[in-house]
Amino acid sequence: MQEILRNIGIVLAILAIVIGTAFSVIGIIGYIRLPDVYTRLHATGKVSTFGMVLLFIASALVIPVGWTKAILLIALVLIAGPVVSHAIASAAYRIGLPMKHVVRDDLAEKMGP
Amino acid sequence: MEQLLTIVLYTSLVIHLALVAVCVWKVWHGNNSIDRLIGADLIGTLALAVLVLISLIEQTSIYIDAAVGLAALGFIGTVALARFIADRRVP
Repeated sequence: MQEILRNIGIVLAILAIVIGTAFSVIGIIGYIRLPDVYTRLHATGKVSTFGMVLLFIASALVIPVGWTKAILLIALVLIAGPVVSHAIASAAYRIGLPMKHVVRDDLAEKMGP
Repeated sequence: MEQLLTIVLYTSLVIHLALVAVCVWKVWHGNNSIDRLIGADLIGTLALAVLVLISLIEQTSIYIDAAVGLAALGFIGTVALARFIADRRVP
């Protein structure tokens, strides 16, 4: 019984590691290929949430006493990742970096000239 | 089953180290300061992933403690640098 549960945990961990690595690779490809800063931030946000959280889930499943620390890390990363993306995008807008293929810009009229 | 897990772990570790090398190259040849800041933040995030993968390979949870500290410090550093750039105190 113990053996079967351990094997089920290892299979789930392998799935989580493969999917998380795929998210990281896709995010870095987007960071290289996309045209401007804001779309690059959209791609790298996926690395810092989905890729990391799936790896932490794998470590919670496999390491014997590590699941409380893994849950603490998941909470920390889920709070910190969007905050970092928002801070960088706000800084990019404030120093006036241009957008490619812009359709409309609501923030321009709200912030004034 | 354990052998398959080991193979997957080492492959993922090599892939993440290659991604760190790509980010270092992008920080070196970035277009503007925000681009380089995104690259530095990605290096911190991928270092977190490397620490977790090492703890999975060694089957100890001591590396996850280091990962908690790295996550908190990297978050504070990136937000502080973004505020400095937004106030134009860094060119």
